[in-house]
Amino acid sequence: MESYETVDTAVLVLGAGGAGLRAAIAAAESGARVTVVCKSLLGKAHTVMAEGGMAAALGNVAGQDSWEAHFADTMKGGKLLNDWRMAEIHAREAPERVLELERWGAVFDRTHEGLIHQRPFGAHTYPRLAHIGDRTGLELIRTLQDRLVHQAGIEVHMEVTVASLFAQDGRIAGALAYRRADGGLVLYRARAVLLATGGAGRVYRVTSNSWECTGDGTALAYRAGAELRDCEMVQFHPTGMVWPAGVRGILVTEGVRGEGGLLRNKDGERFMERYDPDRMELSSRDIVARAINSEVLAGRGSPHGGAYLDISHRKPDYIKRKLPSMYEQFLKLAKVDITKDPMEVAPTIHYYMGGVRVDPETGASSVAGLFAAGEVTGGLHGANRLGGNSLTDLLVFGKRAGEAAAEYSREHSRPARISKAEVGEAVESLVGPLGRPHGENPYRLQAELQDVCSRHAPIIRSESGLLEGLQQVLELRERARSAGTGGPTGRAFNPGWHTAQDLGQMLVNAEALFRSALKRKESRGAHARSDYPNPDPALANVNFVVREVEGAMSVRALVREQLPDALLAVINRSFEKYTPEEKE
Amino acid sequence: MAETVEVTVQRYNPETDSAPRLQTYEVPYKDDWVVLDAILYIKDHLDATLSYRWSCRMGICGSCGMNVDGHPKLTCSAHLREYRRGFTVEPLSNFPVIRDLVVDIDDFMAKLKSVKPWIVRELEQPLGDGEYLQSNNQIDHYRQFSQCINCMLCYAACPVYGMEPEFLGPAAIALARRYNLDSRDEGTVERVNVLAASEGIWECSCIGECSVACPKGVDPAKAIQQTKFDTVNGAIMSTMLMPFGNRR
Repeated sequence: MESYETVDTAVLVLGAGGAGLRAAIAAAESGARVTVVCKSLLGKAHTVMAEGGMAAALGNVAGQDSWEAHFADTMKGGKLLNDWRMAEIHAREAPERVLELERWGAVFDRTHEGLIHQRPFGAHTYPRLAHIGDRTGLELIRTLQDRLVHQAGIEVHMEVTVASLFAQDGRIAGALAYRRADGGLVLYRARAVLLATGGAGRVYRVTSNSWECTGDGTALAYRAGAELRDCEMVQFHPTGMVWPAGVRGILVTEGVRGEGGLLRNKDGERFMERYDPDRMELSSRDIVARAINSEVLAGRGSPHGGAYLDISHRKPDYIKRKLPSMYEQFLKLAKVDITKDPMEVAPTIHYYMGGVRVDPETGASSVAGLFAAGEVTGGLHGANRLGGNSLTDLLVFGKRAGEAAAEYSREHSRPARISKAEVGEAVESLVGPLGRPHGENPYRLQAELQDVCSRHAPIIRSESGLLEGLQQVLELRERARSAGTGGPTGRAFNPGWHTAQDLGQMLVNAEALFRSALKRKESRGAHARSDYPNPDPALANVNFVVREVEGAMSVRALVREQLPDALLAVINRSFEKYTPEEKE
Repeated sequence: MAETVEVTVQRYNPETDSAPRLQTYEVPYKDDWVVLDAILYIKDHLDATLSYRWSCRMGICGSCGMNVDGHPKLTCSAHLREYRRGFTVEPLSNFPVIRDLVVDIDDFMAKLKSVKPWIVRELEQPLGDGEYLQSNNQIDHYRQFSQCINCMLCYAACPVYGMEPEFLGPAAIALARRYNLDSRDEGTVERVNVLAASEGIWECSCIGECSVACPKGVDPAKAIQQTKFDTVNGAIMSTMLMPFGNRR
């Protein structure tokens, strides 16, 4: 049998994006010994690509902002499909988490008074996004990374990928992983495991997500017996780059619209007037993405099949100061000077609202000792996420889950047993592709899967398309059993082998997406169906929950707990409208 | 026939090679491609064994740094049209090679920690008191130093780091400078001990290769110069004696 190294730890954190880093810091501060395992290098996680800002009702620009207003916006944006308690906690605690980040050294653009500046963003009633230019994710990651190296009791294992989790009698026990550098296998024995692995955007062809976003945590949790929710809810960000081909899909921050950017079709019409005349360009992402899609389908798209996004009416200095990365990105990649000319943009897969079903207070999944935080979870964002809510999600729930995992590890001082036989099976399946280099080509399978999701679970879905898609996913799953490495058999940095592993996780995510989307016979938020174009009131308080039952994926409808009257009243409150002062 | 371009790549597999070797591939030439696109093409279509790092494709994660024709570049931002006649891709200089284009940067992570890249204050204000006030002008004093993406290009460009691996290096010194210039911070004295103790800082010949290499407009050479100046002039001492807020 293959040899492997064994590492013992109290709390094992998978992922070093914002949620994983914040969780690791919290768990270590609570006194737990923490090991962070991440797929890439520290500081390079997908969070680094976040641009626009982090939403928190600090009230620095609009004094009338409040946690209630933020809560109401989040719930309405999510079409009330959200876990209301998560939305409440998030809105209440986000300001403190942002201030804490500032304490640790994060740089923010400032108001004239020297307070953290906040910019307007889609479907937020007030200017709410704390930001530094359009590189807020980088600043968040950098600050947390620097804080993490400062914090005693945390060990980081970089470029290590977890392939499977072990649970014993419903309690988490550990994980099997491989190191990219030398292909060595590592068995982690942990008293608590915290998933912070992000989303699964890579199951689509055109996405703003980095190569890492293959839905590992969702799939690992599912196989360990945890429940997933809202897997049909996948966000198309309205504005991704459409050309050059090499960068198709990469993000054009909503900050462009926050700073006054206008959307036009090829006839020069501000088409949002026809889709959301009140909020126009600052409508919610689901609506703007569908609007651009409709314009293109109606033949009013731009030359590369998108819409025009124009910020050139703002002063060049202002654009370069508030949107420096966008300015540079378009100049370098597309040779477009956005201070003079419009950008061409189209919807791109951006975010998984669905994920592991967790306890709102602690991030605990339905498997004892298994916690989750960030994009890998479902609940906070309901059927559609508002821009800026993701970064504060990471901070608020990263901290909570980290503390809860530390506490769990204290209460369970002995790790659960891991059976040798199970490890053996997991190892065999992990190294399988190395033994069949010329098995099914993993790159080809991955590309086919991306085509299936892109074609059959697009921005507007239908029963026949979803059924066809599910069928093809199941066929791919069969073929993936004999996936090889695409040729090489070496252990060190073997990208074909890694792709074969990722593929297994992506397939679980894709299957959950199609099965859940078939169940939701209505249109709501990010989930739009041509055969059921309207919301169905009977599904308004239903979430679809996925779990493994006797080796097969089952989906059940779960009726949500009623919103307390006090919170319902908050949602129905009419908040004072904000009128910005024009200053540049 | 479609246009092509010759890409020569340094290969090294620790399991089979005793030394790095060069291998040349014929890759389609597209005017809107970047060097990273050519490398991805090689892996997807010509040679699945090629190893390298990349992530965001938009110049913000700092994963895809490599030497292109001998100069350290972010390959997602280096355009093929600038290398129309073919080019050579090698791993970043001055780092141990793990495999092909992948280098070991553990050394940097240790250096990062040594400069205390966080706000140091005698008294921390409770969160309830709100943020530390700071003006956009105060941020302008250190803004450029805060844009570092840890891509390691400056270390690959640095002749001193090449000869003297103990040298803290450009990015770590720029980071220290970033915090020393931050009006919220009081940790200059703690950091200067680390900075002054780093032999390399005095050996930096100020040719500024690091600042030329930086893809984000950070000027580490300036940070090093300013740090030398401060150290020599005892400016640090006066900073220590001055209360917070008096050194804008």
